[in-house]
Amino acid sequence: MPPSGPLRSGPAKMCQSCHVGPVSTYRTATRAGPVGQREGAVGLTTHAPQAAQAVTLPTTLDEAVAVLTATPAAVPVAGGTDLMTSVNSGQLRPAALVGLGRISEIRGWQYQDGHALLGAGLTHARMGRPDFAALIPALAAAARAAGPPQIRNAGTLGGNIASAAPTGDALPVLAALEATLIIAGPSGARREMPVSYLLAGMEMLRAGELIGHVRVPLLHAPQVFLKATGRTGPGRALASVALVLDPARRGVRCAVGAIAPMPLRPLEAEEWVARLIDWDNGRAIVPEALSAFGEYVAAACIPDAAPAEDGSAQQLPPAVLHLRRTVAALARRALGRALS
Amino acid sequence: MSNETATAEPAATAQTDPDTPPLGLGASLLPADARAKTEGTFPYAADLWAEGLLWAAVLRSPHPHARIVSIDTSHAREMPGVRAVVTHEDVPGTPLHGRGRADRPLFASEVVRHHGEPLAAVAADHPDTARMAAAAVIVEYEVLDPVTDPEQAFEAEPLHPDGNLIRHIPLRHGDPDAAGEIVVDGLYRIGRQDPAPIGAEAGLAVPRPDGGVELYLASTDPHGDRDAAAACYGLEPERVKIVVTGVPGATADREDQGFQLPLGLLALKTGCPVKLTATREESFLGHAHRHPTLLRYRHHADGEGRVVKVEAQILLDAGAYADTSSDALAAAVAFACGPYVVPNAFIEGWAVRTNNPPSGHVRGEGAMQVCAAYEAQMDKIAKKLGLDPAEVRLRNVLATGDVLPTGQTVTCPAPVAELLEAVREFPLPPLPKDTPEDEWLLPGGPEGAGEPGAVRRGVGYGVGMVHMLGAEGADEVSTATVRVQGGSATVLCAAVETGQGFTTLARQIVQETLGIDDVRVAPVDTDQPTAGAGCRGRHTWVSGGAVERAAKMVRTQLLQPLAHKFGMSTELLQITDGKITSYDGVLSTTVTEAMDGKELWATAQCRPHPTEPLDASGQGDAFVGMAFCAIRAVVDVDIEIGSVRVVELAVAQDVGRVLNPAQLAARIEAGVTQGVGIALTENLRTPRGLVRHPDLTGYALPTALDAPDIRIVKLVEERDVVAPFGAKAVSAVPVVASPAAVASAVRAATGRPVNRLPIRPQAAVVTG
Repeated sequence: MPPSGPLRSGPAKMCQSCHVGPVSTYRTATRAGPVGQREGAVGLTTHAPQAAQAVTLPTTLDEAVAVLTATPAAVPVAGGTDLMTSVNSGQLRPAALVGLGRISEIRGWQYQDGHALLGAGLTHARMGRPDFAALIPALAAAARAAGPPQIRNAGTLGGNIASAAPTGDALPVLAALEATLIIAGPSGARREMPVSYLLAGMEMLRAGELIGHVRVPLLHAPQVFLKATGRTGPGRALASVALVLDPARRGVRCAVGAIAPMPLRPLEAEEWVARLIDWDNGRAIVPEALSAFGEYVAAACIPDAAPAEDGSAQQLPPAVLHLRRTVAALARRALGRALS
Repeated sequence: MSNETATAEPAATAQTDPDTPPLGLGASLLPADARAKTEGTFPYAADLWAEGLLWAAVLRSPHPHARIVSIDTSHAREMPGVRAVVTHEDVPGTPLHGRGRADRPLFASEVVRHHGEPLAAVAADHPDTARMAAAAVIVEYEVLDPVTDPEQAFEAEPLHPDGNLIRHIPLRHGDPDAAGEIVVDGLYRIGRQDPAPIGAEAGLAVPRPDGGVELYLASTDPHGDRDAAAACYGLEPERVKIVVTGVPGATADREDQGFQLPLGLLALKTGCPVKLTATREESFLGHAHRHPTLLRYRHHADGEGRVVKVEAQILLDAGAYADTSSDALAAAVAFACGPYVVPNAFIEGWAVRTNNPPSGHVRGEGAMQVCAAYEAQMDKIAKKLGLDPAEVRLRNVLATGDVLPTGQTVTCPAPVAELLEAVREFPLPPLPKDTPEDEWLLPGGPEGAGEPGAVRRGVGYGVGMVHMLGAEGADEVSTATVRVQGGSATVLCAAVETGQGFTTLARQIVQETLGIDDVRVAPVDTDQPTAGAGCRGRHTWVSGGAVERAAKMVRTQLLQPLAHKFGMSTELLQITDGKITSYDGVLSTTVTEAMDGKELWATAQCRPHPTEPLDASGQGDAFVGMAFCAIRAVVDVDIEIGSVRVVELAVAQDVGRVLNPAQLAARIEAGVTQGVGIALTENLRTPRGLVRHPDLTGYALPTALDAPDIRIVKLVEERDVVAPFGAKAVSAVPVVASPAAVASAVRAATGRPVNRLPIRPQAAVVTG
């Protein structure tokens, strides 16, 4: 390579005849333009100093709640993977931000009589590690599938719940585990709510409240999370299935994600298949039951089309039929892997 | 791009050969800007800034088809911070522009014809203010029914004064009554690929003291864009200058004139520099896409699998404006039978206007869509006759001297059989069961739902061809200047470096011809003579040829006095490593001494032999040259869920001559990966004419995990005598052949017809 720098790689000036130079930072106009035809409200400028945007970085959950209560317009931000896309595209201009990244009490987990108390600030990357996977394998699998490494490093469990996107990968797992949210409110108040209540919109977060922790039972049994996507690389789920075994209660719990606004629980299929498992004999099951379970789950989540006015049976559209087949395959594979 | 590059493959011997010179042609010279690009210091258009600049925003139509009742800009004008609002009333020059045909208004005035069509533009002192002001422009629409199905366009009310039919080519070649023993039919649909450049559009316009304007853009066709801008502003072309900035990715006509032209207009109106950086959504709405295509084919073949006759109907959805659809249609019709000898061909092609987003040049346009269809037909012939798909193709392949359905004789090297045999003979990759389990990557990805028992493997072939340079009489010309002073040389040529490696090639050419190591390539602007648009591999050919001629002229100027002095011709002198030596060793001097402080300049043009337009029956010598490629795809399909993973693509390509092995491999890998996108995931959906999910989450580009192992099995170096250096363009043809190869492999794995690209999961499922 020639020793001297190439002309195209970084000229100090893009052009000899004018004053245009390349810079790498985002700057706005600093003074009114020189001459020329002007219209409208000349001389007025609209670019408010960015410093007016308040960012608070509380270190405890109660501090954060206090700030949110005092500034109702403030928006809490944890990983920012959902929020910042709206901010960057100009769709959202929060008046103030409350950063949750420095609240150490929600960044880890602890044990509480047979349950794990997971901090809402746990990142997907942290949940994907082997020590966490030994505790709650399905949540770890969902966290590993949640996106590219950049997203997993920033995105959090609490953010996944609060965004409540249909494709949120942790949501079917939490629904299958029947997790409980512990919500921090003003002046140290704590209340509990099943995760499905929030996802179904039966109960909402009140002003100033934050999801502090998520309580998840430790089941000490196989758990599976399976996800079908459109490509081999990270992608949003077309359909996902979370399945957990509860040997103490001799139960199977299953949730299907991404096909409806919230995870769906096929309760009848769960009860039916739990009775077919020989719990005392290595959790054996007849192979035909696996396929039947898959069909049962799929039919429960994607019911047949209502009959037409004249009573004739209606066909589902091909794309919906394919989705149903996908759910059936995922549920069958999930149960098969959990029992193998 | 691929997770395992094939640079150490047996075919790429040129780069492992110890005798390869480190400079000049055939060397893997690194791009001069590689370091700056890697470190993030390379300036792109979005990085530019000028003192006192204003920010622009463009108001775009939310409807695919509507009559404009009124446009009220008064609220926007009154907003504090807003400096100018422009609409169709403020266009001083010609109101219409367009790349192929001037049929597109700068701002819609009476009718909007597609979602995202520009209506007004605003300049303000802050980007948010500009966006808010654009939103404050009140447009009253009378919403009309959009025509979104190209088949309806023939019957529909004209969407444009020019009518709905943009071009029709009825190609007739041979005997219409010819018939074969077997007949196979097929109906194929190709989706809408977006070029999705990794850097969205951005630009800066600076008014000039003489009343003109300078535009700083990542333009790939600076002179074309300059002429369009000058016409719209009502200025002489000399008073509009386009300075080309760093181009952040271009596999198409990268820039959207719908934002370039308002930018200059706002700068002229306000007298201030004006900048715009498009959001990803605007980028998807603004630039041209690949033509969605509907193809109906009927192949007649004899009992041995030899094609007797092809009948085809090809319908390109051009979107709301013509753009370069005419060129795409010519390529689609001319290459409708592929690189096969077809004695009788009857091809009808139409490009029609709809209310969908406009389609335009994306590399391999026209040729890619028909390749997916004719290769599917070859698979059908093989299946019907019980033959190996590669064998059927080999029985039909084209060679030099054969005649295309357009009546043009293939005069360039056409080693199609050699390419196909090379990929067929290449060893297949091991099955997952023969490899360690923790290395398996099943369809659906590392954390996906893939189950080994449901995975089927398939092998398929795709053979494709493209034409190089503009076709049908386009004046393809480029001008380059080489300047030598002291021990260094400078190349001035308005060929834009889009990532295709032209600047590196220009340096290599000068190194080769003049023996000078230190070669720089000057930045591009429109004060230089035109080099044309950076597409269809033309810069390697015409601009590379112009640089070579200019360098040779400088060489003659340099050597003439010496040769004269020693009484020999300049051909007997050679320059290596900065030294001039004669054939007999009598003369030995350095270039610097021979220069004697002089400065040598030479300017040269390269203009390939002329072509002619296709006539009323689709006949004519329309193409300057052609390039070929054969790809064998190996895919794994989860037949219950329908997820597909491309395991390996083995590529053999006709390259003429390898000029830079590393860049050549990178271009092939990039093209193949773009093709995998067309085959599996990339489709910009526009239900009822509205662009859905204009973002990179909804529009799934291939990631590193989706890119297969790309094996460059063979590069056939049969020099094309009419091309400078004998080299052929390499970027477009892998894009053409790889989608067809992937579809063929999925067909082999599942037994399903796979008539539609991208392949939807439900089309790859085997229901028992």
